[in-house]
Amino acid sequence: MINEYYPNFVDIKEIIKETNNTNTYILEFFEKKLHKGFSWKPGQFMMLGIPGIGESAISISNVENKNIVYSTIRNVGNVTNYISSLKKGQSISIRGPYGNGWPLEKAKSKDILIIAGGMGIAPLRGFINYIINNRKNYGNLEIIYGAKTPDDMIFKYEFNRWNKIKKSILHLTADQVLKETPFECKTGIVTSCFPIMKTHHRNAIVLLCGPEIMMRYAGKCLETIGFADEQIYLSLERRMKCGIGMCGHCQIGSKFVCKDGPVFNYADIKSFIRPL
Amino acid sequence: MKAFTIPKKDMNILLERFLENYRVFGPTKPGLESTFNEITSINQLHLDYISTVLPPKKFFHPPKEQLFSFEIKNGKFIIREVKYNEKILILGIHPCDVHAILRLDKFFSDEFQDIYYQNRRKNAVLVALNCIKPSEYCFCSSMRTGPFLKDGYDLLLTDIGTEYLLEIGSEIGKNIVNGLKLKVATDSSLHEKKRRLKLTEKKFKKFIDTTWLSRIAQENLNHDVWVNLGERGGVGDSFPCLSCGSCTFVCPTCYCYDIYDTLDLSLKKGLRVRELDSCQLLEYGEVALNENFRRERKDRIRHWMLCKFAAAAGGKNSSCVGCGRCIRVCPSKIDITKVARELRGWL
Repeated sequence: MINEYYPNFVDIKEIIKETNNTNTYILEFFEKKLHKGFSWKPGQFMMLGIPGIGESAISISNVENKNIVYSTIRNVGNVTNYISSLKKGQSISIRGPYGNGWPLEKAKSKDILIIAGGMGIAPLRGFINYIINNRKNYGNLEIIYGAKTPDDMIFKYEFNRWNKIKKSILHLTADQVLKETPFECKTGIVTSCFPIMKTHHRNAIVLLCGPEIMMRYAGKCLETIGFADEQIYLSLERRMKCGIGMCGHCQIGSKFVCKDGPVFNYADIKSFIRPL
Repeated sequence: MKAFTIPKKDMNILLERFLENYRVFGPTKPGLESTFNEITSINQLHLDYISTVLPPKKFFHPPKEQLFSFEIKNGKFIIREVKYNEKILILGIHPCDVHAILRLDKFFSDEFQDIYYQNRRKNAVLVALNCIKPSEYCFCSSMRTGPFLKDGYDLLLTDIGTEYLLEIGSEIGKNIVNGLKLKVATDSSLHEKKRRLKLTEKKFKKFIDTTWLSRIAQENLNHDVWVNLGERGGVGDSFPCLSCGSCTFVCPTCYCYDIYDTLDLSLKKGLRVRELDSCQLLEYGEVALNENFRRERKDRIRHWMLCKFAAAAGGKNSSCVGCGRCIRVCPSKIDITKVARELRGWL
């Protein structure tokens, strides 16, 4: 029997500075047998940590050649604070990947609307890259990405590439734009982009990720402009200790976010997300 | 399988047989309350008990346990396994608690395996004891988990007056009593068991109607009863919930735990520990930047009640078995049977 609680270890190969408190860590497995058994889907997460500090659920933002994992971490708590002090070459413990990931099959041949807020773009980046690699399987792509300020946006170096994706639109918006930005950025919250949105609800699927308050408003707005609950998928954040559906912390309604999620259909969990 | 009888005064023969191969744990009464403790002689055993404070869950899913130890050498981490494979026997465990263990068995071996629970469970023998003296808080007859046990045991005892009826439920149980000169149970002893079952069923004071209860609870998330439980009081004669978490710690099917690391003073060695956690505590649902998905007391008590009504993520595996411990320990007199009745709308 495998002990799911034993972590494996990866080395930090590279650190990319995203914002003043967020870094992307490029992690490399140094044990061959580990990366051979590694398989992932965009939208899944891992339990990253340091023995002595603890573990934290962090989403996978990209995977290269099966042995290089990208994860973007904002310094907000004990574990992430310690990780932010690490340097190139140091080790991190890793378990996973866990969770179900984005509905890649259900999204096939449909128009895709991606709405992300703040750090919420991290689990969606893998999906956007997946669409770029399998462009003909999917319809039009529209990305709405919002953050507090343009400086808080992550993956700024990807915007150019995303802008050039065929049949796609990228909207960037920030709550406050105080200075000149190197990219076009509107002022307002993500829902303020809805009036200029091109995606029609007829044959579309919506992927949402961000702070829960943003997802609640976006879900409500999408409902009013004709999207059915079944078309909307959202990735949730909860406290997690085990990642395998046993510690109980991540429960929402009759589901475990770690095991049955983190991606849920809006129709299934609507009643359990706090009403507005 | 076969049934035997054993006179109450000869119980030490049975206990000695158990002690040959196992560490035996059973109900003892050190003070006013009963508790499961290690038994080494028959004098310590107190089979005539009503309910223990902590459920026997503590033997398989202990309040605190070590998952592994680790050491930091030259910036690299070395992980050392911890294995638990002591053979234990739990004597005198009531049907409600056996059902709770059977549910936890399913819970911890679902999609992923919990190796710590399963190692402990696989090395344990359950000698159950049918309950003939339900307390004023018990309602296992309504949950169909008692007062008498049908399966899930290795050996089963029933008090039938001057002797115990001993039934065998598994190969392990059969091997344990093999060679003991036991009297084969007569028809009259088996009849006495049935009579006692009927008598016991009449002794219950609390009832709960479970038909569609999980659906009713799930579809009434904005029911007044949740606000009353958490803020106003007055469900039955209850006071507002204090969020102390007592109910979760004494519940035999509550499984939630926290995982944390402890470092020793050298900062080179440490342990990863898991400890029972409670959904009633504020930190339980807290995530980064102080966001809390169950900040209000009513949300937390609602979550626990839903979990016990089989409407939370644990499903039936974490649902109530009717042992009544939560009612007994609650400082605010919250009574789960009254909550169910109020949800249903009959008073």
